[in-house]
Amino acid sequence: MTMRILCATRGGEASIHTQEVAIARAYQDKDELVFFYVVDVKFLALADYAMRPDLVTEEMDRMAEFLMTMAVERAESHGVSATYLIKHGSFPEQVVQTIREEHIGLLVLGMPGNDESAFKLAELQSLAASIHRATGIEVWIPGLNQAEK
Amino acid sequence: MKNTRTILPAQSNRVLPWLAFVLIVGLWAAVQLSSPTPAHATVRAIAGRVIDEHGEPVGDVQIELYVNDDAEPAARDLSQSDGSYVLVMPARQDIQSVHIEYRRAHFEPLMWQASAVELNDILEHGGVVLEDIALKRRFTAGFWVATLTFAGMLALIAFERLHNTLAALLGIAVIFGVSVVGSAITPSLFVIGFEQALSHVDFNVIFLLLGMMIVIGVVEETGVFQWLAYQAFRIARGKVWLLVVILMLVTTLLSALLDNVITMLLIAPITIEIALVMGINPLALLLPEILSSNVGGVSTLVGTPTNIMIGTYADLGFNDFLANLTPGVLVAEAALIGFMLLWYRKEYRKPVAKPSKALLQRLEENARIKDPDMLKKAGIVFGVLIGLFIFGESIHLTPTVSAIIGAVAMLIWVHPHIDDMMSAVDWTTLIFFIGLFMVVGAVQEVGLISLIAKAIADLVGGSPIATLLVVIWVSALFSGLVENIPFAAAMLPVAAYLTRTVAGLDDSVLFYGLAIGAGLGGNSSLIGSSPNLVTAGIAKRVDYPITFKRFLKVGLPATAITVAVACIWLIIRFF
Repeated sequence: MTMRILCATRGGEASIHTQEVAIARAYQDKDELVFFYVVDVKFLALADYAMRPDLVTEEMDRMAEFLMTMAVERAESHGVSATYLIKHGSFPEQVVQTIREEHIGLLVLGMPGNDESAFKLAELQSLAASIHRATGIEVWIPGLNQAEK
Repeated sequence: MKNTRTILPAQSNRVLPWLAFVLIVGLWAAVQLSSPTPAHATVRAIAGRVIDEHGEPVGDVQIELYVNDDAEPAARDLSQSDGSYVLVMPARQDIQSVHIEYRRAHFEPLMWQASAVELNDILEHGGVVLEDIALKRRFTAGFWVATLTFAGMLALIAFERLHNTLAALLGIAVIFGVSVVGSAITPSLFVIGFEQALSHVDFNVIFLLLGMMIVIGVVEETGVFQWLAYQAFRIARGKVWLLVVILMLVTTLLSALLDNVITMLLIAPITIEIALVMGINPLALLLPEILSSNVGGVSTLVGTPTNIMIGTYADLGFNDFLANLTPGVLVAEAALIGFMLLWYRKEYRKPVAKPSKALLQRLEENARIKDPDMLKKAGIVFGVLIGLFIFGESIHLTPTVSAIIGAVAMLIWVHPHIDDMMSAVDWTTLIFFIGLFMVVGAVQEVGLISLIAKAIADLVGGSPIATLLVVIWVSALFSGLVENIPFAAAMLPVAAYLTRTVAGLDDSVLFYGLAIGAGLGGNSSLIGSSPNLVTAGIAKRVDYPITFKRFLKVGLPATAITVAVACIWLIIRFF
């Protein structure tokens, strides 16, 4: 039976590996692949000067569309047809909501790929566990030995 | 005199005239005895000036004149901002002695007693101009309240424990709370009164910022920022080094005339897309842009809030910045471009990827001008605004008024939706500035600024070039560590003091030095300025994080180079 795979991605270098793993999985099992990005403009609080959150969100939306287009093209180049979803707000809330709304069977989360990877990995594992508890679906972090099932 | 014969009894006819005569003489005598200033008397006055230990004028000094041993003062005055005062002597003939009492918060009270010669001058020759009266500073509990509050405010902002505005409001709440409530318990806790604190708020800065926020709010809606970045991509035709140079110049120009935070917020996403399309690391484009945005912001009066503050305080107009600072900053930018091309040379030499048509199309769509008609009108208004900045000064049109005119023109002609545009105004930042000015006014009032200024003056030993270099490099150092707006606000009176006391300094050079240090110093660390932080926020969301260490590695040498070049420019220009 065809499963829907949700691949959370930010489009950066660290995400490319995650995308390729998700693409390979979708290709192998003939599953549906959906790339997922959450636009979050909380970083605007770092600025001490005027900005328009609506305009910045618009720019971030366009950037997200661009990144998702790249991801879809990558999937198509491997013979996998993919779509994407862009949401706004907090990532944990939006991913749980999307999993329920879109009847997702597997969530793929990318490993952190920067200097703070040890700390971020612990956070990611905790997030994966909480998503699994909330939705009951498999959460896969490629590169880790265990996936939350 | 009334004819009383028909009214009163006959024997009264001889008494009443005498009674009237006595009454009139008596009244005249009473008037003569009580009147302090006969109509024909000369006004006698004592004038003078009050200064502090460093020779700086002291305003708001309560000055009371006492004659003889009277308990109540015969005359009162409040010294002006230049320290001057005038006391009008009472028109009395019995003056044997005169003394004057000087009182002001945070200073030791002082009494001046007229000598015999001075008294004679006052009484016989119409008055006297006294030598400057020097008041000595008194460091009270209020000094520590103000100093610790200011330091606490800076720390709360630096460590992001509170929003800037909240930190500033907390600062003024503490200062006024202690001044009012505390001084009822002990007068030494008094820091500053509300009206006095309000007098430190520079509303030229507030309204200039307000005007520019509205202007920028309209321009940013047009999509011109993104369009310019895309044009850089088109013109470069795959040559990454050329793309970098054009992007850096575009960022510098936009930051100089509009705002460097908005510039980075709107240019960073499309820059990331361009980098990904070309297959290069987005940070190799973003970091040069961030550094250029901070450099560009320093080059004009309106480039950064710090420059606006410095310009209005020191009475430096748009043309003053253009003539004295812009050329040096442009040379610094050229040096920065050279440095960036060297720093990322390996990245820029990598072969460029060939993107798909779909991606190129999306890139072009994302960079489209959203409203060409609005852009045309906004461009005209903006051009007129720049013209007003440049030529308006010759008809005494201040930059603040020009900005308000520009903002109103934008609202009326270009974008009539005033609610939208009012939302483009960052009111919390304007309130932050008001609070900040008050807190800095308080530390100025208690003498902290004078202490710092004196310490710097002693350190540099009277050398004008050394003074300039200290101001620039200390500002650059601190700007990388703490918020540069509060730091610059506190440094303004220090720069003013040093300008007055160090011989050989041009009236404005230290202020340009402060602009350079506070502006370019923001490049030295990730937390040095807002464009750095917001761009890092965007980059993180595409998994290309700009860590503190990564930024420091490129920012620190870039800062050293640009500050050094700007230093050399100022020395050549002013010495």
